[in-house]
Amino acid sequence: MFKYVLRNMWRRKARTFLTVFGIVVGIFALTVLGALSARLNQQVKGAETWFTSKISIVASGGGLFGGSDGYLELSKVDEIKAVPGAKSVVAGFGLPLSSEGGGFGSPELIVGADLAEAEDLLNLIDIAEGRILRDGDEGVVVLGSTLADKFEAGVGDGVELRGREFEVVGIYEPTLSAPDSFAFVSYEDTLDLFRAINPYFQVENIAATIDVIPEEGVDANELAARIDEAVDGVKVISPAEAEKQISQFSLIFNAILLGIGFIALVVGGLSIINTMIMSVSERTQEIGLKKAIGAETGSVLAEYLLESALIGFFGGLIGMLLGLLAVYLLNNATASSQVSVFTITTTVVVGPVAFATVLGTAAGLFPALRAARLKPIDALKED
Amino acid sequence: MILARGITKTYRIGPVEINAVDSLDVSIAAGEFLSIVGPSGSGKTTLLHLIGLLDTPTSGSISIDGMEAGDLSAKELTRLRREKIGFVFQEFNLLPVLRARENVELPLRYLKVPAPERYHRAMEALEKVGLGERANNRPGQLSGGEQQRVAIARALVTNPVLVLADEPTGELDTYNTCKVIELMRDLNRETGQTFAIVTHDPMVADYTRRIITLRDGKIASDSAGPEVEMRCDDIR
Ligand SMILES: Nc1ncnc2c1ncn2[C@@H]1O[C@H](COP(=O)(O)OP(=O)(O)O)[C@@H](O)[C@H]1O
Ligand SMILES: [Mg+2]
Repeated sequence: MFKYVLRNMWRRKARTFLTVFGIVVGIFALTVLGALSARLNQQVKGAETWFTSKISIVASGGGLFGGSDGYLELSKVDEIKAVPGAKSVVAGFGLPLSSEGGGFGSPELIVGADLAEAEDLLNLIDIAEGRILRDGDEGVVVLGSTLADKFEAGVGDGVELRGREFEVVGIYEPTLSAPDSFAFVSYEDTLDLFRAINPYFQVENIAATIDVIPEEGVDANELAARIDEAVDGVKVISPAEAEKQISQFSLIFNAILLGIGFIALVVGGLSIINTMIMSVSERTQEIGLKKAIGAETGSVLAEYLLESALIGFFGGLIGMLLGLLAVYLLNNATASSQVSVFTITTTVVVGPVAFATVLGTAAGLFPALRAARLKPIDALKED
Repeated sequence: MILARGITKTYRIGPVEINAVDSLDVSIAAGEFLSIVGPSGSGKTTLLHLIGLLDTPTSGSISIDGMEAGDLSAKELTRLRREKIGFVFQEFNLLPVLRARENVELPLRYLKVPAPERYHRAMEALEKVGLGERANNRPGQLSGGEQQRVAIARALVTNPVLVLADEPTGELDTYNTCKVIELMRDLNRETGQTFAIVTHDPMVADYTRRIITLRDGKIASDSAGPEVEMRCDDIR
């Protein structure tokens, strides 16, 4: 039966290919977006541990992902310290690693932290090699995993950050999120770099962000609320709010993905239904003949369902493979900038094919049922 | 074997009603070798479809081996057709994507005969109708007469107790007509299979033991045939 079904599809090559092509397009889009979303979800999950274990404070008007040019006075650190429940209050200052600005994906940043206070913050990520920064460090750097790969640097090597040589003292484990592209140095070093780049903008006693780690047993969200109340002119991003911003971001993206899936469903589904209806009406006489010589309704049904399932499967398979190829090529194209945009997971590979197969079967059900239920003589006489 | 009482089949084309078969009574016993003749449009094909359980009469009843066809479900009718009846269609109805042999194998497939046996039986049936050499051709590559013989092989391959053939020699020359009818008569004599052959060829009717003549959907006459002995090689 399998052979026969394949041969029937082959005989109607032109139309079979058109239908398969329709599905290919939909599934291609679905695969590429699936890989994009898999990467994004991975990143978001990683980001969650980093951003939701602490309270971030920026100048009012800013957000979790930047957006503010304002700086905080260092005096705010003492104001925050006065709020009960804050274990460490870390002044931070950051600047882009390259002067050309960021590309797609996580920005590469030099992140400076007040090392007298930063131990808890810097311990949020596991160290893979060497040590974390400690109070009094100068001219040394701990690299996020992506940057370590990019510089091909190990502990003890020197790397150049914005024209100044730093010694690598530690490398973090991958988090698959923003901190992987961070180079952690001391607050003072960052400020020096900033001054060297902007000779006319002599900054002092300012911070870009202040990170707060709560004391053990203190609810971070409640502490965030207390800080918000006690300190003026700052925007406090609680872990809950950070999570909301992160999940909102992925929610929007997943909604887009769902929309594309729906379009694939409608386009692919309609085209399979159309093909199957034409294919069935073309072969009504054959169906009548088969039933006349004793074919059971079930076996006629199975034949047509198999055909539409196969159309769905092939369309899905080709679309998925093309999608993987596109993802592979795009990842290669961006590899030089150490940014991978897509992640291929089992779901990304199996999902679209399974989806297309189920779609094909479902779309074939209606015409197949109609064909199988015809009275043999009515089917034979139809033309 | 077959008992039809007062069967009528009415077709409606717009406001016009035609009784293709008109309150017809007929009985066919097991082992008969009969022909159905009559002018074109007299209802021969319609009658054969009714007897072959492919169609249901508008009124009247048909029984096969004592079972009322009207009481049987579609599934049971399908089983009867599969197991007891071989049908040669006037238009052959071969599947264009299948080779001749695969067309002949098809009813065996529905009888769940295993593949190797299916192959041998199909080849045997094709050889009987003189088409052993053409087994791998598709219908499109065969002449009308060859296609007709494939259709005959398909009807015979399951050894059905009842063979219903609708103008099975319509596309055949005199010699092949004779050979096909000879094959059917031999099977009838050796295995007791029942044959009802629709034809408008007087020669074919003369070979049979009973001739039913239809006119306007009714039986005009039903009489013994001459059952002329065949000498196909003389025809050649
Ligand atoms: N599906 C149909 N719809 C309408 N009329 C039909 C149909 N099939 C047969 N008829 C009519 O029934 C009559 C008998 O047809 P048929 O049984 O094919 O005759 P025969 O086989 O003796 O030539 C004819 O008048 C034909 O036009
Ligand atoms: Mg006819």
